[in-house]
Amino acid sequence: MMQVTLTMKPRAKPFLPIEAEMIVPMNFIGSRELFVWEGNKKRRLEDVFTVRKEGNVNSPENIVVILRGDTGRVKRVGEYMSSGIITIEGDIGMHCGNFMRGGNIVIHGNADGWLGREMRAGSILCHGNAGDYCGSGYRGEKRGMRGGKIEIMGDAGDYLGEYLTGGEIHVHGNAGMFAGAEMRGGTLKIDGDVRIPAANMSKGTCIIGGVAHEMLPTFEKTGEKNGMVVFHGDVANKGKGELMIRQVQENSALQ
Amino acid sequence: MEDKIRHVICPYCGCLCDDILIEMTGGEISGVENACTLGARKFLDDAGNRLKGPIMRKGDEWVDISYEEAIDYAVKVLSEADRPLLYGWSGCMTETQAIGAHLAELIGGIVDSTTSVCHGPSILAIQEVGHPGCTLGQVKNRADTIIYWGSNTIEAHPRHLSRYTNYADAYFFHNAFRERKVIVVDVRKTVTAEIATEFVQIDQGGDYHVLSALRAIIRERGGVIPDMVAGVPKAQLIRVAEICRQAKFGALFFGVGITMTGGKYKNIRNAIEFISELNRYTKWTISPMRGHSNVYGSNEVFTWISGYPFAVDYSRGIAFYNPGETTAVDILARKEADAALIMSSDPGAHFPRVCSEHLARIPTILFDPYPSATTHLCTLQIPTAVNGIDAAGTAYRMDGIPIMTRRFMETVYPTDTKLMQEIYDRIRKVKEDA
Repeated sequence: MMQVTLTMKPRAKPFLPIEAEMIVPMNFIGSRELFVWEGNKKRRLEDVFTVRKEGNVNSPENIVVILRGDTGRVKRVGEYMSSGIITIEGDIGMHCGNFMRGGNIVIHGNADGWLGREMRAGSILCHGNAGDYCGSGYRGEKRGMRGGKIEIMGDAGDYLGEYLTGGEIHVHGNAGMFAGAEMRGGTLKIDGDVRIPAANMSKGTCIIGGVAHEMLPTFEKTGEKNGMVVFHGDVANKGKGELMIRQVQENSALQ
Repeated sequence: MEDKIRHVICPYCGCLCDDILIEMTGGEISGVENACTLGARKFLDDAGNRLKGPIMRKGDEWVDISYEEAIDYAVKVLSEADRPLLYGWSGCMTETQAIGAHLAELIGGIVDSTTSVCHGPSILAIQEVGHPGCTLGQVKNRADTIIYWGSNTIEAHPRHLSRYTNYADAYFFHNAFRERKVIVVDVRKTVTAEIATEFVQIDQGGDYHVLSALRAIIRERGGVIPDMVAGVPKAQLIRVAEICRQAKFGALFFGVGITMTGGKYKNIRNAIEFISELNRYTKWTISPMRGHSNVYGSNEVFTWISGYPFAVDYSRGIAFYNPGETTAVDILARKEADAALIMSSDPGAHFPRVCSEHLARIPTILFDPYPSATTHLCTLQIPTAVNGIDAAGTAYRMDGIPIMTRRFMETVYPTDTKLMQEIYDRIRKVKEDA
């Protein structure tokens, strides 16, 4: 077992983003020099973080990376990671777990936008809230998350699981607008409320345990299951997706 | 002495009207013909309103400085910054925009145009589903059905209707005005709505719902649609869908009324997919109503230089694009930028308060001939010659047609192209020496 603890050092310009896609467990095997970008300056990992390594292993499965301190502006942590564990004690910046292929990420604070963008496998657990575009694709990308699991204990932002193609996203709180937009597979489960869910979905399952506000007119009601109303759609694109909702808000402004 | 100059290009909005006639008396503009009120004021309000030279904030006062001192300051600030933001670009010509994009690459900055607060969502939608578009000449001569969606054209682009749509003569019609149908979709009854054959009034935030319903109706799945969608009766939606299907050539124009409401690019995507659906039956096109004279040009220039149309982040030496992360409003709201260059634009008047506060906190260099709301936030303002009046260059019309603007007045001001080139050359030398 090996534990790598990265503690953020105080910075002269604390709002500058840090791009740190090299923070993946595999990179801490051996003593390779690692670099991150702070704004437009390339910095050694040791200049930005206090690095403490305990133990020595040869394979990434047995590596735990712990991020400590003010990490809310650190982007791309765990990008392309395939095994091992990353634990973030506070908040984390955008694109955490991009293209993830395995391993686990645990976030104890909040995550910024694009959490688990286009991930293929592995799991992300966020104890706080997630920003916009959680589990979605990049701009113009036709497929978002394709496999693995994301669990958010708090709320999620807008465009949750946009282009969701496989895997599972479970949000225990509420989601913003356009959750599950363009869904084409996978399962999206939201225990709380949501606005305009599953817009233009073509396949997959979206389950809403709370109230769906501003429901789209292009979903066909097909029955009831487990106390939920089941819809099929989006008929605007001949979609075959399944949308299950506990309660549809009869919004006088929109319906 | 009175002088008349013909075929002047109006540098105000994305229509870039090319038939303006200017009267000059004693070296100043004394009259404007053919232009709309907005364009005429652009020319007539020029005299006497420009800054005399660069001004620099020193404590609570403005101090006049020379152009050399201004450039020295800009070179120092931009070359030392960790995350410089170069924003604006829609009021200047493509020549300046090209230098701006190269400058961003040189200093590892972010170059973003006003697109990110107007039709950026349209571009995001186009990147998802493509753009069935055409030039305005095609619309003028062929279109028998026009839709204005979320655009109060008569007040925002006053000559659009007379030059390209409702009131324009058409090659393929005997009496174009009688034969054309105009559908206006908006949340309130605007002036444009009053000339419409069919006015669809939707509830605020209901654009996506109405477009989805129209798509379902065109796909023969109207049975699913409830009796009322976002305040619009189903019967009217069926009627509108039928008008669209019966058109010989239709053109949908959309404004910021639909790009900047909730859903943003999803609304536009839905509109584009509605148009694709109609193209199974007849010919339809869709075009954004671009605002600033050369905002389309900024997208063209940034795309041919970086591969991305706006919000390009060069901080790692390569171009990265992700609206929401690299757009000016987001960069400022997160207090990331540590220096800003604002080119011919007025974020002080349009950005959220938190962004203006950050602009006031960091060194901000503004290139603008006139005092504006951003003057109150900036550290240094450098006046330049006005494009289309005493400076010439290429601008792109809202349909992507490049038009060469004219210079018809003598000037003492340097052009923004010249100043930007000088800043670029100086910073390049600093970097090479280092």
